[in-house]
Amino acid sequence: MEFLTLDVILNSLGEVGSTVLYILVGTLLLEIIVYFLWRPLEIFSGLVDRVLKPMGDPVRHGLSTLLLVGVLVFTVASVSVGVEQSPPPWAPYWPLAIVAFLVGAFISPTAPKIFHWQLRLPYMLFAPALVGLLVLVIYPLLWELNVSFTNLNPKHFKAPDFVGLKNYIDVFTTPVLKQVTFFPVFLRTILWTVINVAFHVTGGMALALLLNRKLKLKGLYRTLLVFPWAIPQPVACLAWRGEFHFEYGFVNILLQRIGLPAIQWMTTPFWNFAAMCITNIWLGIPFMMVILLGGLQSIAGEYYEAAEIDGASGWQQFWNVTIPLLQPILTPAIILGTVWTFTNFNVPFFINQNELETSDTLVTALFRSAFQYFNLGDAAAFAFVNFGILLIFAILYIRVTGGLKGATE
Amino acid sequence: MKRSILTIVALTTLITLVLAACCPEPVVTTEKVVETQVVTEKEEVVVTKEVQVEVPATMEDVEIVLWTKEGEADGGLQFVQALADAYTAEHPNITFEVVNKDVETLREDFLTAGLAGSMPDLLWTVNDHAGPFTDAELIMAVDDMFDLSLYVDSALAAAELGGKTWGVPISNGNHLMLLYNKDLVETPPTNTEELITMGKELTTGDQYGLVFNQTEPFWLVPWLGGFGGAVFADDGTTPTLNTPEMIATLQFLYDIKYTDTIVPPESDYDGADTLFKEGKAAMIINGDWSLGGYKDALGDKLGVARIPMVVGGEWPHPYTSGTYFMLPEGLEGAKLEAVKGFVKYATNANNQALMIAKLNRLPALKAALDDPLIANDPILKGSADQMVVGTPMPTVSEMRCNWDAMKPEMQAVLANTKSPEDAAAAMQTAAETCIANLE
Amino acid sequence: MTATTSSQRRKPNALQRFFKSGREDSPFKRIVIHAVLIICCIIAVYPVLRVFSVSIRPGDRLLSTSLAIIPKDATFEAYKTVLIDKEFPVWLWNSIAITGSTAIVGVILAASSAYAFSRWKFPGRGPSLVFLLSTQMLPAPMMMVPIYILATKLGLTQTYRGLVIAYSVTSVPFSIWILKGYYDTIPHDLEEAALIDGVSRLSAFWRIILPLSTPALAIVFLFSFMTAWNDYLLARVMIASERSLWTWVLGVRDFQSQFQTQWGLFSAASILVSIPVMALFLYSSKWLISGLTLGSVKG
Repeated sequence: MEFLTLDVILNSLGEVGSTVLYILVGTLLLEIIVYFLWRPLEIFSGLVDRVLKPMGDPVRHGLSTLLLVGVLVFTVASVSVGVEQSPPPWAPYWPLAIVAFLVGAFISPTAPKIFHWQLRLPYMLFAPALVGLLVLVIYPLLWELNVSFTNLNPKHFKAPDFVGLKNYIDVFTTPVLKQVTFFPVFLRTILWTVINVAFHVTGGMALALLLNRKLKLKGLYRTLLVFPWAIPQPVACLAWRGEFHFEYGFVNILLQRIGLPAIQWMTTPFWNFAAMCITNIWLGIPFMMVILLGGLQSIAGEYYEAAEIDGASGWQQFWNVTIPLLQPILTPAIILGTVWTFTNFNVPFFINQNELETSDTLVTALFRSAFQYFNLGDAAAFAFVNFGILLIFAILYIRVTGGLKGATE
Repeated sequence: MKRSILTIVALTTLITLVLAACCPEPVVTTEKVVETQVVTEKEEVVVTKEVQVEVPATMEDVEIVLWTKEGEADGGLQFVQALADAYTAEHPNITFEVVNKDVETLREDFLTAGLAGSMPDLLWTVNDHAGPFTDAELIMAVDDMFDLSLYVDSALAAAELGGKTWGVPISNGNHLMLLYNKDLVETPPTNTEELITMGKELTTGDQYGLVFNQTEPFWLVPWLGGFGGAVFADDGTTPTLNTPEMIATLQFLYDIKYTDTIVPPESDYDGADTLFKEGKAAMIINGDWSLGGYKDALGDKLGVARIPMVVGGEWPHPYTSGTYFMLPEGLEGAKLEAVKGFVKYATNANNQALMIAKLNRLPALKAALDDPLIANDPILKGSADQMVVGTPMPTVSEMRCNWDAMKPEMQAVLANTKSPEDAAAAMQTAAETCIANLE
Repeated sequence: MTATTSSQRRKPNALQRFFKSGREDSPFKRIVIHAVLIICCIIAVYPVLRVFSVSIRPGDRLLSTSLAIIPKDATFEAYKTVLIDKEFPVWLWNSIAITGSTAIVGVILAASSAYAFSRWKFPGRGPSLVFLLSTQMLPAPMMMVPIYILATKLGLTQTYRGLVIAYSVTSVPFSIWILKGYYDTIPHDLEEAALIDGVSRLSAFWRIILPLSTPALAIVFLFSFMTAWNDYLLARVMIASERSLWTWVLGVRDFQSQFQTQWGLFSAASILVSIPVMALFLYSSKWLISGLTLGSVKG
């Protein structure tokens, strides 16, 4: 048992401080290395480019892609998964892979474009974050990819077998856990997301409109209304779970006081889903309200005056002045809200106390499959299908809203 | 009082002699006299023992990382820590890092640690972890390392798989029993007919005759046993959930809720627990871990009895298991010796007596069963009485599939959304799918 | 931008009037607005009050048939226990130390990277941005096992170091997107002018852009802070076996066991933990509002 003595505080400050220092120093070193490496690389890449020009661009692109893809496959296949799995027979050839990577990188016609002297700064600035992400995100990703092609579970633990695409096929054909298969869970997750975001936006907008005026106690209202966002999510979820209790929760007590029968929130699929939605809506409206309120406050009053002079009614003002001017904020808010709701784990997991399969979203089903049975092969495949769906959504969204525009505007 | 001291001393000497004879110890040198005070409700029993201090062959410094599922709520974690500290006091070169993880977390983290090759040195956990851990070959069989004849058979049986034993039992029990409020119930019912009659009389206003956790199948299996059924066939891995016995069990649970209405309309663990503590439930079916809390809340009004016999059937067989030491694979040398020494120490008669007193649990050491603490405490006596008709909880990893299959169906029947027949059939298919997936 | 209008002026009905953010609201309208807001506030706050009432109720009774916020036998015993007998202050301190350093490192890493994305069009920029966005969409449970394996191999488990690194890196993608968006609204002329004067690019970044983007930096700091503060999965993977390093999230879960939960302590700890978060949030809410909009609407 440790108590908060001065020793403990100083100790932890020391450790934490040294970590921050290490990271900063490491970042600086990395950036310096990149910075000074750029010129030699530029010269080298220019040389290679001149020498290889007769080969023609398409050939070079093709070769380069081939080599790089090969290196990728090699890397994925070399990430060993089982504890007692002997490294694959091609593992000792990793120096070859590095050479292949370098060759593939420099053959490509885009190499000289990258190693341009002007571009040393952006790459240098991005390098530390990139390295950190590569380590912390890429390695787990590759590991999971590898696992998704094996049958890693307690019965095949130390030396799992390669099973190819079997897990991926299973994702779509066999039940995720007991009875429900992929598409119902997927559709339910979409329904969950749409319902929640719709209520978040409408509710947030309504409250923001109400608060967007000279009002006594406005600060107090804003403070209180923000409670759901400031409370840690797990605590809020457990609080709401208690409120949906059949006998003791205030929801049923209220219902009974106004004469309606008490609802079995925890055991009925429909009502359990409703309970999840109610909780998440309660949690999500404050965030929307804050964002939209900020947006509303920055819309200059002149627009409304101009509209009124033109004879627009309140409703028309809303649709034709407020919404369009709010668009730049509304869009990212909606997208963020959608992504966060889709991948929300806490609410469906904790509200669904009785682990009803009918209340699972993709993320909770994945969690149960992975950890309750430690069926990592299946879970990994499932996770990648999930990821693929979201990735397609992300790419489409960026296309539609032009989110990448920036430096040339 | 004198008699009990003599018995204990005699027992201890006997045990140490047996231990010394059967298990070749590296070095046995000094003998120390350790005086311990065991405090019970009724009397203070001073226990004086002769403890043989086993000095390990090497005196190198060993740190044992012990993962335990014991939490603070019922005093378990404190007990484990106290044991570790006491052992370190006698063997200063052996230190402990006691880490508490709840049951699910412990299982997940141990498997993950197995994948990373960084397992702890000793586990103090529940029996059904043996299933997945043996599948993954992460723990060692203990038959050759300890004298298992010292332990209660039912405790050992619950940790047996494939002919070998995978855990050293610490406590026995973890079983459900009938607890009642003596203010409301004079004599507990002995069969289900009496249960229903008494329950009807006692269910008035906001008071209920009987409460239990209606969401977990752990509360269903005793009744299943009472109706003569079991979740596995004789081979121990084929699920037998779609049976007349299961249908009868589900029907019974449905009846006591909807036909006889002696249980609340919706009740999970906390709901049942609250009602009983507030005195609004006459009887509750709960496990030995809850005894401490109810003793605090109800004091002398707490009574313990067997779950009533099924009329036309048998005494219900609640699952018994307990807590076990499990040894991760790869232990060797000085560490293995240290771990073995600690396991023996923690399960010796002295510490078993302490455990009985502090945690209200039944011991796994045969010798400790005769401890007067049990005989003199009506609560523990009732608990032991129930355990006699218990059945060891299956520990194969397929059991988890059974639990997960039974849970939603049981809830559906109790929510009146499925008939017992449909539920039983659904359970069977779900379990079979799940077991197929385990491959 | 003028609004498209209809030629006739229709008398707005009640609902339309309601939503019009007018300057001259009738007293009746004001009362209605206040009433609605009060109801919403009650809905927002009530569940939290119920958690509070569990924390002052003796005997670990999660549920109760009475709706009273303050039970008859209320006691602050749970708070005393949590603060004095348990290691709660240590957990709280650990959380503060870890989360604070995470936020700092996160801001530093993100600020420089976002500048690169905002000011240059380099090969790989597009795919990199998509990659950053996609890291937000990885289900966290999926990453737990490999992160643990990696951390074990690197010796980063059971240390502050590992957790700080993990938290910083996971907050970077989102931070980069926000900061990039903000930098995009700062006109290039400022830097152009500086460059003409002979100042280096980096120096311009340091001296001109960064001071201008304090609101956005504050937002990134806050978001990183809040995400790390409430995180359970990464903390469990990295430091769960070292009790002295536990964050409050791990510590509070300690009050739960398989069948029983010490609800009194759990709720008391939950309330205590929410206080710093709410204080921090309320203090920074001004910045949050103006910051989020500074990057988009130019009114």
